[in-house]
Amino acid sequence: MIRRLLPAAAVVALLAGCSDSPDPAKPVGDAEPGTLRVLAGSELADLQPILDEAARATGVSVKFSFTGTVEGAEKVASGAAEQGFDAVWFSSNRYLELVPDAQKRLGTPTKVMSSPVVLGLPAAKVRELGWDGRRVGWAEIAEAAGARKFTYGMTDPSASNSGFSALVGVAAALSGSGSALDAARIDAVAPQLKQFFSAQTLSAGSSGWLSEAYTRRARGEDPGAGVDGLINYESVLLSLPEPLTLVYPSDGVVTADYPLTLLTSASAEAREAHRKLSDHLRGADVQRRIVETTHRRPAVPQVQLGDRFAVKDLVELPFPGSQSAVDGLITTYFDQLRRPSRTLYVLDTSGSMQGDRIEGLRQALTGLTGADESLAGRFSRFHGREQVTLLPFSSTARPPLTYEVPQDDPRPVLDRIRSTATSLDAAGGTAIYSSLRGGYDVLRRQVDADPDRFTSIVLMTDGENTGSEGVTDFQLFHQALPRDLKGVPIFPVLFGESATAEMEQVAKMSGGKVFDARSRSLSSAFKEIRGYQ
Amino acid sequence: MKRTLGIGLAVVLLAGVVTAIVLGRGDGAAGLRTVRGVIGSEKLAFFADQRVKDVFARHGLVVEVDPAGSRQIATATDLEPYDFAFPSSAPAAEKIQRDRKAARTYAPFSSPMVVATFDPIVDLLAKAGVVKAGPGYRTFDVQAYLAIAATGTRWDQLPGNSFYPARKNLLVTTTDPRDSNSAAMYLAITSFVANGGVVSSPDAEAKVLPAVSRLFLEQGYTQSSTEGPFEDYLSAGMGKTPLVLAYEAQFVDRVVRGDSTVRPDMELLYPAPTVLSKHTLVPLREAGDRVGQLLQTDAELGRLAAAFGFRTADPKHFDDVVREKRLTVPRTIVDVVEPPAHETLERMLEAIAKQY
Repeated sequence: MIRRLLPAAAVVALLAGCSDSPDPAKPVGDAEPGTLRVLAGSELADLQPILDEAARATGVSVKFSFTGTVEGAEKVASGAAEQGFDAVWFSSNRYLELVPDAQKRLGTPTKVMSSPVVLGLPAAKVRELGWDGRRVGWAEIAEAAGARKFTYGMTDPSASNSGFSALVGVAAALSGSGSALDAARIDAVAPQLKQFFSAQTLSAGSSGWLSEAYTRRARGEDPGAGVDGLINYESVLLSLPEPLTLVYPSDGVVTADYPLTLLTSASAEAREAHRKLSDHLRGADVQRRIVETTHRRPAVPQVQLGDRFAVKDLVELPFPGSQSAVDGLITTYFDQLRRPSRTLYVLDTSGSMQGDRIEGLRQALTGLTGADESLAGRFSRFHGREQVTLLPFSSTARPPLTYEVPQDDPRPVLDRIRSTATSLDAAGGTAIYSSLRGGYDVLRRQVDADPDRFTSIVLMTDGENTGSEGVTDFQLFHQALPRDLKGVPIFPVLFGESATAEMEQVAKMSGGKVFDARSRSLSSAFKEIRGYQ
Repeated sequence: MKRTLGIGLAVVLLAGVVTAIVLGRGDGAAGLRTVRGVIGSEKLAFFADQRVKDVFARHGLVVEVDPAGSRQIATATDLEPYDFAFPSSAPAAEKIQRDRKAARTYAPFSSPMVVATFDPIVDLLAKAGVVKAGPGYRTFDVQAYLAIAATGTRWDQLPGNSFYPARKNLLVTTTDPRDSNSAAMYLAITSFVANGGVVSSPDAEAKVLPAVSRLFLEQGYTQSSTEGPFEDYLSAGMGKTPLVLAYEAQFVDRVVRGDSTVRPDMELLYPAPTVLSKHTLVPLREAGDRVGQLLQTDAELGRLAAAFGFRTADPKHFDDVVREKRLTVPRTIVDVVEPPAHETLERMLEAIAKQY
């Protein structure tokens, strides 16, 4: 399924060659001496000050383009990464090396720093749990989570490495077998894993947004219910404005080791740049600066671990040895383990959507029913146990259509969603806010019947509101909502001539986030949102 | 499913080496004869060292090398452009010698496979009967280790272990058997013990496979280059890598460098039995034969190889380094066995790879 990306990327590259717009296969431009073009995980952004200093010291500057773990692996495997990049830099190469087509394109890696994925909780909560001053294992953590003695936020394992590492870590530790996971072992610990994930009340597509949302909720700036703790990199948890007490599971963690890895396709100049930069970054002084600036652990033994790292010697849990085991674990997480999602799609089908736009919307929804066979696409399809409601609108809202995706054999329901999606037509006006308001009637009934779900709203519209109710009316309505509904995040998608300021306002009042589909397909925006649902 | 990192890496490094050599020629190296070789990547630093280049130059040679995985050299690499092949193991060299009908081979240096670990782990494993006092050095009893591995014992299940209660299996960290020579050498050791002798028949292969496969499979993800786990051992320490399979030369090289990466609580165990990673040069043309002779006989090259941690054909060079740097490595290792034939080893590796 990975190989399919190659022809697509080639087509994109060809098309780009015919126009004046920047080549999407080369988001950071052509190769040039003294520059290393790096496809990277977004958490590397905090290294910028170090890289600026490195550029002055070595003459090598780094140009980053950010992507998610699975998507990044896919780009490397298909060869698309080689079109526009000299190197990759993710939190770990483990997943990449399990994909044979990606593994063979990886050259020399240089491990630059490390950070384990751990649980952070407020000090008071740690005391309340009786975990003060003693080490606890994953089994005890999972049990407390199952009894809802605490709640936590974690990133989507298919979109972000910290969630992925946490998932592998907890599954490996709970399996108790001590050796690497395979499908049978995953099945055997599913009940315990389910307990553990029942306390996850916040999800996000990126580590950065997760900790921002956590902090906003803790401060009451977001209407969403507060979350006790976070599962994230130690470095992120140590960097929070109000630091948490870190719980290092005694039976082990999964650690990110940030290998700056040359692609085998890199030119001689790029190789030289990679060597210079690697040597610089692994120098003792620079390593100390990295620890100071980013709270990550040093990669060279010459630099001692400071007191900021409460637990110095960490047991590393075994990581699965095959891609199928990892993919199986992620799929199980979505379809069986995590709290199920409730997703409401409020979709603009007004006259202005005619033509390419409505076709783009049909494709975006169809992609989520399993038509997108890319790796990232497979993980972002509607999951087992998910409750999906489509609410198309134009001058008025149409009747909502709700689908329950079964855990086993989801195909028939996904096919029904697909046929609804493909029959969407565009005509009429754009009554955004009255339709959105109507969506809450649907949610009210669904939440009353079954409150324990990740509930969220996607609002897709391509233009100005033409209905009689405006954003101010909606704000008033939203303020008066009961707490459980007020905390439902809205994810507006900017498209066509969207009213950007209004969409930002809607996202902010609900604790959501705006996604931009004006310079990319609706499909890619819809896929990205999946990480937050 | 078979991986091709070795080849990829070779392509990456090739241009770098060639560039270095082209630049190096700038200083009046005219009249020198260029000899090309393909070598196991463990020896790249040796051939790239200026002192080594100077010795070859004094003998009228410029040696250009391309690094590649030793198993790739034996099976996948096109040897036509090369004057010599210099894999890191005897089975690979045998195969090349046979295929190319080379008249002779040179084995100028070698390095035993070792298990690098930490003092507290040594104590734990001594109690468990895996670490034993050997003839002047401590050994890692492979038979006892296989017995523990066969039951899937976790560290936290070792009796009396309050020091390292890790909830993971007691396993030596290796590289990926699909990619790396050191993992193949590990298979040579463990298959010998599981079989009670060198594996040399299909029956014996079938008999040992279940026991040796799990040593790799139960580790899960493993890195593809031997430097990876050894660096983790040095920097991330006991939590991540309590036991790591390495070449003795890797450890000695670090101590000789004196960069303080080897700490006082780090210790080498010699598997009993162990195998030697026998760096064996196969001359493919006359010019390559000259390189083999020099490596075997030139005292200066011998001293330099010893400084990179290799045991030399003339033991004096290595002994000098041991004395000078006060290394705690044994002068001679007694319990050394031969690896299986190349085809046997490859078949077993393939059989393990299929189970991932």
